[in-house]
Amino acid sequence: MSAPSPILLDCGTGYAKIFNLEDSTRAIVPSRRFIKSVSEYRIAASTGHNIASGSGERVNELVALAEGALAMVEEPDFTVLDCGARDVKYVQIRNRRVAGMDWNTECGAFAGQVVELLTRYFDIEPENLPSDAPRIPVVCGVLGMTSMFDMISQGKSHEEALAGFLRGVAFNCETLVGRPDRLYLSGGLCDNKAFVSAFTRETIPLGRFVLIEGLRKIYSENNI
Amino acid sequence: MMQERIENGALIFDLDEPLADRPVKDIYLPNAYCSILKRVVSNIFSLREDGGLDLVIATVGKCKCDGMRNIASWLERTTDIPILKVENDNAKGAGFPISRSGLPLLKKMELIVNSVFAPLPDGLTLEECAPKCGFWGVPPYDFGILELFPDETHIFGWTRCMENKTPADIEMECEVASGVPTVFFTQSFCQKSAFAYNLAREHGGLYVEVDKAMSHSTRAKIEAFLEFNLGWRGKR
Repeated sequence: MSAPSPILLDCGTGYAKIFNLEDSTRAIVPSRRFIKSVSEYRIAASTGHNIASGSGERVNELVALAEGALAMVEEPDFTVLDCGARDVKYVQIRNRRVAGMDWNTECGAFAGQVVELLTRYFDIEPENLPSDAPRIPVVCGVLGMTSMFDMISQGKSHEEALAGFLRGVAFNCETLVGRPDRLYLSGGLCDNKAFVSAFTRETIPLGRFVLIEGLRKIYSENNI
Repeated sequence: MMQERIENGALIFDLDEPLADRPVKDIYLPNAYCSILKRVVSNIFSLREDGGLDLVIATVGKCKCDGMRNIASWLERTTDIPILKVENDNAKGAGFPISRSGLPLLKKMELIVNSVFAPLPDGLTLEECAPKCGFWGVPPYDFGILELFPDETHIFGWTRCMENKTPADIEMECEVASGVPTVFFTQSFCQKSAFAYNLAREHGGLYVEVDKAMSHSTRAKIEAFLEFNLGWRGKR
């Protein structure tokens, strides 16, 4: 039996993003499934919340995000926000160097997994959410959901309440990053059109492999 | 007063600190509240249950946050726990050589916290070093956070005031080293979080808020800040 191909791994809370170094293929699998079968992989380098021992050279998530965004965006100055399942983090680039960063670390309910849970719970396609719903203040995810269910009990549609919740999360993200004119978005929520359109500024999704691109850059430069 | 009690055989406990075999009971205060004050109150009640509590000396002035003032009033009104409210407005600085030394940050913090009751150990030499990094804030609930920093990290904020024996000196509390990457730490649900948040913005530092134990994300955020600013990848 041949040895498994070496991979680069971004193992987040919800999903593992995998890059195969031999054939350059990419894959996304639920992290819970990946962790159960981790022994089947040969991990050359890794980043992410759920990386474990034996995961090759480890790279800090914000470092991977910065390097990945620099590889994908040509502008000298820009801001990239990664919306993960558990939390959100951003890097601000000035003259192609990291000038600022932050990470919303405490409230998991703030982030992607709640958006995913709510869309599944309500059985609503994000594409079908109204674009003009009033924003719900999301002090934290739990309090935001309380407000959302209050709206529903007062007669608003589930779609309108969820859209308002998404706008509240997007507002918090904009506050975290300092409200730049243009915002690059990374992570699983790039695929959620309702979330992307909830931002009040130009928002450009970069997809789910930004950290993997950062790992590729670091891996090739350092031959780790 | 404390010295007199010690000479008469009393034991003095720092209620901010964990007490052996007395886990924190999270039942006396609102859930969303400062972890250090939850520990203080839990320690008070568990010492009293053991019959080993003669007096609580509660610091309630400008030298502390407002939390203990409110807690002391509650305990006075509704329990028979003897409370002595004190304020420390001392303005005469004793110096802060530990904060500026090159000792590991965790060791610096332990020395400052322990200096409340005990003199510095004999033979301790404190050589000042140039700061690579700054740690601003109160002594954290979880000292593990301090192990992330290089030894050349200077201590600022209330902890420096504590070492200087001027805990109400808000001007000193605002001081940081210009141009030195600084982490502004606060306990979650602490009144000082507004202070830390805005000082971090003012100085381009990193605002860090932790409730009890530091999360993976908080650790990674601090590590990234140190790596971006210092090329520092931790003690390996």
